[in-house]
Amino acid sequence: MNIIVCLKQILDPLIPVRDFRIDPELRAAVQGSASLVTNIFCENALETALQLRERAGGKITVLAFGAPSAEDSLRKALAMKADDAVLVVNDGNVHPDPMAVARVLAAAIRKIGAFDLVMLGRESGDWGAGQTGGLLAEELGVASVSFVDAIEVADGESHLKLHLKRQTDTGWERVAAPTPLVVTVTNDEHNVPRIPKTRDVMMSYRQPLAKWTLDELGIDAAAVRAGGDYYRVVDLSIPVRETKCELVSGDSLEDKVSDLAARILQVTRAM
Amino acid sequence: MSDVVVFLFSSSGPDRATEGALGAARNLADSLGGRVHAVLVGASNEALMRASAAVADAVLIADDPALAEYQPEACLAALVQISRMISPRAILLGNDAYSQELAPRLAHRLGGSATGDAVELAVDDGRIRARRPVYGGKAVAVIELLQSPAVVWLRARAFAPAEARDPSGATVTRLAVDVASAGGPRIIERAVEDAGESRLEDARVIVSGGRGLGGPEPFRDLGEVASLIGGQLAASRAACDAGWAPPSWQVGQTGKKVAPGLYLAVAIHGASQHLAGISDAKVIAAINIDPDAPIFKHCSFGIVEDYRKVIPLLRTQLAAQKK
Amino acid sequence: MDHSEATREVLWNIGNVWLMYLMFAVSAGVAAYGLYIRIARWRRGREAVRFDRPAERLRLLLRHAAAQGRTVRERQAAIFHTFIYTGFIILTIATTVVLIEHDFGIPVMRGAFYLYFQSFIVDVFGALVLVGVLIAAVRRLFVKPKKLVYTDEALWILTAIFAIAVTGFLIEGWRIAATRDPWGSWSPLGYMVAQISSSVMSEGAMRTAHLIGWWTHAALVFGFIAWAPYTKMAHVVFGPLNIYTASLEPIGAALRPIDFEKAEVLGVKALSGFTWKDLADFDACTECGRCTSVCPANTVGKTLSPRDLILDLRALLHRAPIKRNANGADGGASEDVFDLPIVGVVESASPESLWACTTCAACVEACPVFIEQMPKIVDLRRYLVMEEADFPDTMQEAVTSLESRGHPFRGATASRVDWADGLNVKTINEARDAEVLLWVGCGGALIERNQKVVRATAQLLEKAGVRFAILGREEKCTGDPARRIGNEFLFEMLAKENAERLNNYGVKKIVTSCPHCFNTFRNEYPQFGGSYEVYHHSEYLARLVDEGRIRPVTADERSITFHDPCYLGRHNGVFDAPRKLVQIASRRGVVEMEQSRATSFCCGGGGGMSFIEEPKDKRVNQERARQILATGADLVAVGCPFCLTMLEDGVNARRGERDVRVMDVAEILWQSMNSENTEQTKDYGTNGKKPGD
Repeated sequence: MNIIVCLKQILDPLIPVRDFRIDPELRAAVQGSASLVTNIFCENALETALQLRERAGGKITVLAFGAPSAEDSLRKALAMKADDAVLVVNDGNVHPDPMAVARVLAAAIRKIGAFDLVMLGRESGDWGAGQTGGLLAEELGVASVSFVDAIEVADGESHLKLHLKRQTDTGWERVAAPTPLVVTVTNDEHNVPRIPKTRDVMMSYRQPLAKWTLDELGIDAAAVRAGGDYYRVVDLSIPVRETKCELVSGDSLEDKVSDLAARILQVTRAM
Repeated sequence: MSDVVVFLFSSSGPDRATEGALGAARNLADSLGGRVHAVLVGASNEALMRASAAVADAVLIADDPALAEYQPEACLAALVQISRMISPRAILLGNDAYSQELAPRLAHRLGGSATGDAVELAVDDGRIRARRPVYGGKAVAVIELLQSPAVVWLRARAFAPAEARDPSGATVTRLAVDVASAGGPRIIERAVEDAGESRLEDARVIVSGGRGLGGPEPFRDLGEVASLIGGQLAASRAACDAGWAPPSWQVGQTGKKVAPGLYLAVAIHGASQHLAGISDAKVIAAINIDPDAPIFKHCSFGIVEDYRKVIPLLRTQLAAQKK
Repeated sequence: MDHSEATREVLWNIGNVWLMYLMFAVSAGVAAYGLYIRIARWRRGREAVRFDRPAERLRLLLRHAAAQGRTVRERQAAIFHTFIYTGFIILTIATTVVLIEHDFGIPVMRGAFYLYFQSFIVDVFGALVLVGVLIAAVRRLFVKPKKLVYTDEALWILTAIFAIAVTGFLIEGWRIAATRDPWGSWSPLGYMVAQISSSVMSEGAMRTAHLIGWWTHAALVFGFIAWAPYTKMAHVVFGPLNIYTASLEPIGAALRPIDFEKAEVLGVKALSGFTWKDLADFDACTECGRCTSVCPANTVGKTLSPRDLILDLRALLHRAPIKRNANGADGGASEDVFDLPIVGVVESASPESLWACTTCAACVEACPVFIEQMPKIVDLRRYLVMEEADFPDTMQEAVTSLESRGHPFRGATASRVDWADGLNVKTINEARDAEVLLWVGCGGALIERNQKVVRATAQLLEKAGVRFAILGREEKCTGDPARRIGNEFLFEMLAKENAERLNNYGVKKIVTSCPHCFNTFRNEYPQFGGSYEVYHHSEYLARLVDEGRIRPVTADERSITFHDPCYLGRHNGVFDAPRKLVQIASRRGVVEMEQSRATSFCCGGGGGMSFIEEPKDKRVNQERARQILATGADLVAVGCPFCLTMLEDGVNARRGERDVRVMDVAEILWQSMNSENTEQTKDYGTNGKKPGD
């Protein structure tokens, strides 16, 4: 089983609200003192891939398209025992649109070679577009399944050789799928990313890591730097938050609770 | 080319989500000066059809047996065929898992642009813009879709329902689609989990009790409040430690991290370890007798009162105001 | 009678004396071999430098071996051990005197010396040995304290000593009676035996009894000497040796760095990972059980027992050959015990036990022979964490958070500078000329309750006119939790990163309200290129009080007790500064708890334990809360963010019994600065009373 896991490095989603700042010009978050981390759903995807490899054998290549710092995410993946790592260096626009990303990933995947499975996180913790998986499947011309949390290799000779478990709004579904396939992965108690052994962390810094430029992939770097032609962020703002607690008003307890109930229903109705 | 298609999966609804999606379609079509085509995909659903007809200009029913149960590739092929038939300016979907799965692929096949989790739609100089939360809710972005059609899945409950019209004004048509050749992955088993057992992490509304409850019995009353607002019960570590609530209810640094739309904290002091578990909650409300409790520094609204007095009144009020 | 004539005949009534020399030679040989195999096994351990600084080591030896410094801390043991220990010394000197007189032919056993020392004192101390053995036996057979290990060996040792002492007195008595020794009455017990014997035995019978008794006594003594090194009596030799080679650093400096370039195994997987000193520790153990009896985890019913860990590792060590098992004789089938993974083989080194240690080092402090239990636990943790990635989930979360965001509190909602809202606190970037860096710490910055402590500290510093600054958002965890949990790799990265940043800013002096940061800076950063003058805020504030730069104007009326943070007190010996602050800010001074200062009881939060959910009925903080309530104090003063959190939880869980508040010493001091100032007291003042009211 040849597995390619796409990883995205993002701004730490757990950054305290008060530390979160945006650059209105760039229409993107400012890193400031916050750290960069691997998107959690991408790590869930890697963990699911590692578990699949334990049962079915094969090879895992981790692939990232991002700033040079995304090497850290790939090194960590190597420490978790991915086999190979490829970084496509994004030296331009901080946040190309999902179609631009999908095209870059597709080109890189074609360069990596034949694959059975491409795995991605269901969405990223920064922009959360949730589109890269679907668009990548279309770019590669293969089918895709979303919200997967476990993958088994089916017995028998059927061409539907993968059995995927995926989450739905009301429960779960089991999907029989052929390869090659693109899946997006969501979190589950069974795919919590493993903690790498320190020994493997140390080794990961000595492992080779391929770095490709957009030019090498035959992609119009200028278009990617411009952000792509799929969509454009025209505004980014931090919503003004009600940081102070409003105590419900009313002369009597009855009035106060009535106000409380009204506010509660106002919130639940807006969902 | 200025029409709006809204795809509704007929397995569910009509409910608040389908109403919101229809309302959004209506508004958008009015801004574009186009028509609303409501496309019902899957087994026939009379009620949904009537609700759609009250809002849309055209109701299209795609109840081909191959679409009766959702299969990703067949459904995608059907949506592509229908979209090409109508060639709309915008295509709207709900925020169910299937819509989220289909939206980007549909956009790709139609040469359009997609975005999702939209809470507001606007037309600016002919271009469709969607407002959506990003960075885990810390910021809001406005996305302008550069290619046509615009494919948007909506946080449907965020949109107001449209004013209902006389349903007889809408045309109702059955659509034939050809999805026989669609291969690929097949769903071979479906399981619906007991709603009561659904994950606290996914709950939209949570009513949580703390040490101040003083015992296990009050959780029954909290349960009644929760069921009135479609919520699930949770508890602080102190309450779980005391054995008043099962460990699976525990929210906090060493318990579950939840992200509901509303978190109602009852008699919870608000230790930072507890707050760490609810930092992703959209709205936090508190009922606590202690005005200095840290929870009041983190909630949007609250009441400083003994919960024993508040809860029975709240139950009556919620029941009354819901009507 | 002329005292100068006094002496006795050595070896009276004994023939075939060569046999005695033969017995001695055999006994000495067997004993030497016993010592040799133990030492030979130690030599398989890794390097450790423990023979440097001889003057300091000699002082330690005098205080804790010769003067029994730690042994006498416990009353029962103080009595019986002192009796037996001093008796042994006196009797050994007496035997040496006989040796000098008889074998070297130097007449020393004469006159007043013979009467006062060789007869009277020796008799008295011999009697004390008997009394000591009897007390020990009563304790072991009837009192049965939980901390002891009940082995047959221990009973046989007592029996042997008892028999040696009794036979000694019998043969002395028979000799006195049979020879009508004119100086006999100088040996009171021997004389008593002589009096009784002569009234019931003939002279001939006494001679025969003496002869048989003498050889029995000799056989017992030589047998005991031969056997002792194979038993816990080896502590007679290894105890003092262990004290001489003890660590001369504060306990806070006990953990060793790892050379990641060279280390074949990270942490200790098997005995082969320990240093020779670690292995020597096992052999020095006297099985007294004090370590386990003071262990907070053990006290609240967890499986961790430092005593059992040491004894089980000793048993494992004794199964190991003294040289590496060459693959050959049996085709390499039998694995060298030295390479056996300890976790999984040794029962007391179960993960459950290892992950219960708060690294409070009460065990280390309690050990009379200076065994270092806690660092061994961390060594074993290191292996689990770094080689197996096998440790509790919630600790993993803390470590992951440390890696990715430089603090262990995943989901913290505060930023690093929120606590300073409304205060005029500058970052070091803005105030390069600051004389002091206030190190806020993750607990102080990110845990809401502790923000008030840092606030109070900063306000006090400001009031005293100290030019201080903070690192602000550039601050990162010192790495203490990573190091105690066992992730030395992460600790080293954080330490180097922090040291580099501090050095770049030219920081010389650091004040921190977190004893964990304090300890790490003071004892551990020098190994990673960071040497600073480091103060716990209580030390620094106490100095400002001394200099008159801070003047409390009101006194707290409440009864206050003080909880010693392990990493401030036991690990670094700072006991008085925080007490002084309480003293000066309160009317009544400090009420001490049943365990305080060096023998204080942990809050339960050290060693990464604050990131673990303890079982409801086995919580260290609740046991400490019990001790707090027992003092009757209204307020417990602390000096550590972890203690503050743990003890607030602890006393809250016992709220039904009595309301006790928890406050940092800086908060108490700040509150006493100004009767108008209510900011600190609003939330925590009790009885509706403001200071100064």
